[in-house]
Amino acid sequence: MALQIKLPRVGKDARLGLALALPVALIMGGLVFLPLLSTLFDSLFRIEPMKPGTPFVGLRNYSNLLKDSTVNAAWITTAIYVVLAVVIETVGGLAAALLLNRLRVGRRWLLAIVVLPWCLPPVVNAIIWMWIYNPSYGLLNGLLLGAGIIDTPQVWFNNRETGLLLISVVHAWRMMPLTVIILLAALQSIPAELYEAARLDGATALQRLRKITLPLIAPGLAIALSQSTVFAVNLFDEAWILNGASLDTRSVIIQVYVLAFQNMKFSGGMALSVLTMVVSLAVSLIYVLRVYRETRFE
Amino acid sequence: MTRRFKHLPGQIGLWLGVALLVLWSVGPVYWSFVTSITPPNALVSNSLHLWPEAATWQHYAKLFGANSTSQGNEVASVWPQFSRAFANSLITSLAATALVVIIAAFGAWAFVRLQFPGRDVLFVLVVATLAIPAYTVMIPLYRLMISLGLIDTYTGVTLIYVSAFLPLALWLMRSVYQAMPLSLEEAAWLDGASKLRAFVQVVLPLAGPGLVACGILTFLSAWGQFMVPLVFSPTLATKPLTVLIPEFVTRNYVDYGLMNAAGIVAIAPPLLLVMFLNRYLVSGLMAGAGK
Repeated sequence: MALQIKLPRVGKDARLGLALALPVALIMGGLVFLPLLSTLFDSLFRIEPMKPGTPFVGLRNYSNLLKDSTVNAAWITTAIYVVLAVVIETVGGLAAALLLNRLRVGRRWLLAIVVLPWCLPPVVNAIIWMWIYNPSYGLLNGLLLGAGIIDTPQVWFNNRETGLLLISVVHAWRMMPLTVIILLAALQSIPAELYEAARLDGATALQRLRKITLPLIAPGLAIALSQSTVFAVNLFDEAWILNGASLDTRSVIIQVYVLAFQNMKFSGGMALSVLTMVVSLAVSLIYVLRVYRETRFE
Repeated sequence: MTRRFKHLPGQIGLWLGVALLVLWSVGPVYWSFVTSITPPNALVSNSLHLWPEAATWQHYAKLFGANSTSQGNEVASVWPQFSRAFANSLITSLAATALVVIIAAFGAWAFVRLQFPGRDVLFVLVVATLAIPAYTVMIPLYRLMISLGLIDTYTGVTLIYVSAFLPLALWLMRSVYQAMPLSLEEAAWLDGASKLRAFVQVVLPLAGPGLVACGILTFLSAWGQFMVPLVFSPTLATKPLTVLIPEFVTRNYVDYGLMNAAGIVAIAPPLLLVMFLNRYLVSGLMAGAGK
């Protein structure tokens, strides 16, 4: 009895396919997959260029992070960024998407204008806002003084709460366009007859929003929420430019950067980046599952 | 008449909303531009002007000039650094864009139309990396680049950009090819063309808008990158504008006129893309968001 071994037949098509996919496999394999595995693996060792040897330390890098008060403060800071940024982006983004959806003329141009902040380098955005927030000559102080809301110019970043809020605003200014585009695409897929029927039944605008619009754009909302959450968890550029490594506004990613590239504790930085990746994946998964479940019972 | 009257409050609300949205989106950029053409002494006055009383190009002259003054003192011109960083930004962004578009154009087609071992696994793995934040691989990548001698080289930075932006481009191009009828290619096969030839001559020209969208998204992402070059481009050999401009701050005296002028120059390429190619940009973002 001859053993039949089925070798995958590599025909002409398959060879062409492999050849075309090879650059993808090489680049992603070498620069993403291997480094990712290496991050997971190396986070179990002590790798610090300033110290000799790389002994196996098990989960000690992780347990050290849990005990580190600076790291814990950075987690809280990042959580605050996430809440503020996601609320601003979702509320503002929904309002902008509803507006754009109602617009008959010039929608394409308004959309281009709305998308603009997303297209600009985040660093330049942060610099533009840094000047607006300037304590002595900034636009924000000027406008608030002019309106009589404050009596004296404020040094905004002297206060942790305002610092966190202002950094979140800059981040939300950049990321809101994504929410707008996702929600606008969802809104455009709602059939107009539904609104006509609701209007004939005497539903108010608010009722139409709650009973028709929100349930029907829920999947889009889930995508928008998870995107804004993941980007806010990864907030780095805005906080770094506006307030440097200051402990008041130090996000988790700034902490990773400081740990790895300023304190040269590579393994600690890797362990923290693994934790951040897990958190951002988990949070976005929770949103998606929850919104899908709620729409099913609707 | 009464009908128009009934809609008037709604119309006013609508246009008020539009005005607010435009102000929110463009206002800060406009303010930066106004700052960049305001003379230094007017910048530190207490009154706000929506347009400078005496507009000046002196901040731009400082950027582009051979020599410059700051607070009356002759200081070294920033032009050599600035021009170098601008070129670095342009070179790495364009190289990454070209590579991503070419690799995605052919690769995504192979993922859609050709059967080969490992196809589905590879595609799922690559798209899954969209959910992985870039910094997670930063530290091993840093050690890898050091061992390869690719720190502070165009090759190193460009390759990292390609690995970061290729998954989205593959995802977009796959949906473009999936939307095309197979019959287009079959007609070319009947004429005796090979699969590759049919793709290049028939499918690729039709995929133009998708490729443009991929190119724009990649260019914008690469142009705005900060953390990658902060780590991988320590000197002016490859340092881009995004890393150079914030360094103007760390001096003792912050020259806001100069910073805003530099920011406006750095904004110019993305601004031009949005103005002239916004149709492709929005369609690309919409397709990318649908994941």
